[in-house]
Amino acid sequence: MRKSLPQRIALSVVGVVVALLILFPTYWMFVTSLRTPGEILSPKYDLIPTSFSFGNFATALGKDNFPTYLMNSLIVTVGSVLCALVAGTLAAIPLSRLRFTGRKGFLVLVMVAQLAPVSALFIPLFLLMRDAGLLNTLPSLLLIYFATTLPFTVWMLYGFVNGIPYELEEAAMIDGCSQTGAFRRVTLPLLGPGLVTTSVFSFITAWNEYLFALVFIQDKPKETLPVWLASFRTAFATDWGGVMAASVIYAVPALIFFLLVQRKLVSGATAGAVKG
Amino acid sequence: MKRWLKLAAGAAALTLATAGCAGSSGSDTAASSSGAPAQLSGTVTVWLMTGSAPATLTDALNKEFETAHPGVKVKYEVQQWDGIQQKLTTALAGGTPPDVIEIGNTQTAAFASQDGVLTDLSGDKDSFNGGQWLKGLADSGTYDGKTYGVPFYAANREVIYRKDMFEQAGVTKPPTSNDEWIDAIGKLKTKFGSDPDFQALYMPGQNWYALLSFIWDNGGDIAKADGKNYKATLDTPEAKAGLDFYKKLVDTSGTKAPKDADEAKPQQATVYGAGKVAMMIGLPWELATAAKTDPSLTAKTGAFAIPSKTAGQSAPVFLGGSNLAIPANSKNVAAAKEYIKLLSSAKYQSQLAAAGVVPGTSTDLTGLDKDPLGSVMAKASANGKAVPASPKWGDVESGQNPVKDMLTAYLTGKKTLDQATADANAALNKLIGG
Amino acid sequence: MTATANVTMPAGATPPASPRDPGVKRRRRGRFGDRVLPYLLLLPALAAILVLLAWPLVQVLAISFRKLDIGQLVSGKTIWIGFDNYTNTLADPEFWTITVRTLVFTAAIVAATILGGLLLAILMRHLDPVVRIIVQVTLVLAWATPVIATTTVFQWIFDQQYGILNKTLDRLGFHGFIGFSWFSSGPSTLTVIGLLIVWQAVPFVTFSLYAGIIGVSREQYEAAGIDGASAWQTFRAVTWPAIRPITTMVTFLSVLWDFNAFAQIWAIREGGPDGGSTTLAVVLYLKGIAGNHFGAAGAIATLMLIVLALITGRYIQLLVRTPEGDLK
Repeated sequence: MRKSLPQRIALSVVGVVVALLILFPTYWMFVTSLRTPGEILSPKYDLIPTSFSFGNFATALGKDNFPTYLMNSLIVTVGSVLCALVAGTLAAIPLSRLRFTGRKGFLVLVMVAQLAPVSALFIPLFLLMRDAGLLNTLPSLLLIYFATTLPFTVWMLYGFVNGIPYELEEAAMIDGCSQTGAFRRVTLPLLGPGLVTTSVFSFITAWNEYLFALVFIQDKPKETLPVWLASFRTAFATDWGGVMAASVIYAVPALIFFLLVQRKLVSGATAGAVKG
Repeated sequence: MKRWLKLAAGAAALTLATAGCAGSSGSDTAASSSGAPAQLSGTVTVWLMTGSAPATLTDALNKEFETAHPGVKVKYEVQQWDGIQQKLTTALAGGTPPDVIEIGNTQTAAFASQDGVLTDLSGDKDSFNGGQWLKGLADSGTYDGKTYGVPFYAANREVIYRKDMFEQAGVTKPPTSNDEWIDAIGKLKTKFGSDPDFQALYMPGQNWYALLSFIWDNGGDIAKADGKNYKATLDTPEAKAGLDFYKKLVDTSGTKAPKDADEAKPQQATVYGAGKVAMMIGLPWELATAAKTDPSLTAKTGAFAIPSKTAGQSAPVFLGGSNLAIPANSKNVAAAKEYIKLLSSAKYQSQLAAAGVVPGTSTDLTGLDKDPLGSVMAKASANGKAVPASPKWGDVESGQNPVKDMLTAYLTGKKTLDQATADANAALNKLIGG
Repeated sequence: MTATANVTMPAGATPPASPRDPGVKRRRRGRFGDRVLPYLLLLPALAAILVLLAWPLVQVLAISFRKLDIGQLVSGKTIWIGFDNYTNTLADPEFWTITVRTLVFTAAIVAATILGGLLLAILMRHLDPVVRIIVQVTLVLAWATPVIATTTVFQWIFDQQYGILNKTLDRLGFHGFIGFSWFSSGPSTLTVIGLLIVWQAVPFVTFSLYAGIIGVSREQYEAAGIDGASAWQTFRAVTWPAIRPITTMVTFLSVLWDFNAFAQIWAIREGGPDGGSTTLAVVLYLKGIAGNHFGAAGAIATLMLIVLALITGRYIQLLVRTPEGDLK
């Protein structure tokens, strides 16, 4: 499907316009973070800023113990993403490739487990963590984020494994691979895009969670970034410029995570092309 | 605003410092205590809200407390407002609840009305300077005749205005009656009305605390106690008169503020900061937020109490603020009481006043006098009132406040005065009645 | 076959499988190890879901028959009150209005999300790598922006006085939008909220579908191209069959999330004006969580769960009834 040059240019233009539209609210957040309070609500037409001030960023980074919060958030988030990916992949294989009693029961369980609104689960989960003596520890958050992203991870990976023809594995086994080996060498690489998508999802979900982060942790040095972000609002006034600057800083790790795994998305694609 | 941020940052730094020592509590430190009369030991965990007390105050307070009670460590933690209710609820049910907590005054009854949640402090009032308690706050901390909350601090709204604009418009002295107020708006409009961005009074449609003042000023109320229960009284002629005055202010001032939002959406201090607003009804420290935009506003801004329909008086004002309480399952009630006792003492109360709020357990308001906005607030606070001390009042303020909907419906002309008040009355009764 | 970096599968996590005879197509009920294998693999996920999701869910159900306010929570006392929480909730004449509103709202934003995501995913496949990365980065930014920022930014953009939208519309000649309030009615407020939710949900759908689309081999497309098929025919014949399972899945997930969406609705107008943008999730918060009435919260959550189960029931049923041949 080679495209002519005008076609490519037209597509690129469409792509850039779409990107700009999607970007706009984020752009507005970024622009606000560079504004002084008076410029945030200005009667002037201010689509493109004329002056920049980095005071909000200085305030945000100088506030509290940012590195500690960042570290805690990274531990909890990366930990829960890894756990969910491992447990999810392990579960997706038999669900998709094997026949066994209880398979459908498990699938239904995975689905039903996602139906409930998380805000309703908050009291039982609190009691559970209290009785397990895990309150005020980072593992309590890690476990919650792991569990809340797991059904989704299982299900997505189940779908992705289903989408990979079993014949490929069979061919590898004919070539002398063990079943495990065939899965690892054939299916797993093809699973790349699925793993990336689900990990980005899990990362962002865990990264942004506030309620459990607030309620489960009582000691300041163990708090995570969402709580830090909330500290810009006081009963008296909200430093919105500060909130926006903090939000920009806050979104950076998720972006870095995406850029790190994004290559995998592409390599997964090429792997698929080679093998197809 | 910057000041408050700095204070918060300082408080948080302090928190980290004290939290570091928290681990070494318990018996070993108790053993070293000697001179303290009560022989207190252990750790007192104190949760105050962000922005409540300046770090300099809590810093000194915690130090003095630990010196006076060598066996006790203070674990002081600043809490965020967002989600505080869930955090408090779970913390009280958790194994290691904090020992001293700050509860918003309109929330206190919800906690106090439940058996075994808060410690009954009725017997300790005297040691907490009980004779000088701020009445509006003391009421909110009392349930069924017993005291559960000790007044911490309060604040009330006033009219913040541009002295320079008033002068240019020929308004020589701040209005002291509703008529003078309306008159001042007219003069300001005549002088500055040619500027399309000018607003004589910034008045969003849902500033329901201001409405409370007008209703009270007309002799009405939002609800009346009926035994243990409350009955909404928004459909009384007095309440309607208050609502009418609100509309008059909105109509005469021609404010461009949204009719379907309160003073936080958008933040009115920021609008004031842009310099095109002559008056707003707000709290003293909103000026600091505005001054972040334009520092020259500090010198140009003054305040006057919300005027009354009776010339020479000021309207009653809603007292917003917090109480201090001790969870019933606190492991260290004795030390917690000592802590509240020290915080209620004249020394720290005057520091609270100096920080710009009305102290809860001291009638000495001289600390507020040095600030022109603070002194106006202090004077008006004498006429401060609280919302009904109903355990269900939290449900009114937690969202979808029928009083706010009533304001919007009437101001936008969607409902008539009678219809709007009748609907709101029914909705309010559903929330707090019976 | 070149070995691709294998980051996610820890060595030794998979129990070794026995060597198989070449040509064996399906697992046979054979040796003990083979029969236990699936359960061993499922164990971590099963344990986590049972303990951390299913058990709390059962507890929510139990709590819905109790009076559980903060007093009971602190004292640990259990007070059973039968169906009171349910009758109180259902007695509110507004309840069914709100349920219908929630369903319509959910349907609208799910449709918009899936359609938008699908179009973007297809567009991304055809873009030059550089432009594609640009689109992807903007999507990730939209996705990763914290809700506290997005809800505020949307309120500023739509602010009646200072919002950039009204100011822009005014400049474009639509002067009626000066001082226009986007939050004056329930439907208008829900439209803004819907836009916000769709904007933050589209990235996930796009990435999921894109991952599915690039799984389709180039040869298949080229074969279709050589046959002189139109773009639509190619989509119907090649792309759609490949991504249909994933599309169904993300649709189902979007239904769950959007039905339970709360933070954005609450932050914009707390379910107002005059309750006009109140959904079931708002009711759950307002009547249950905010006032510490956890029994009522449990009942509302259970009712929401029933409604959700009813509308997603067919999908669950389909999954259960899938013939064994579904296994590849």
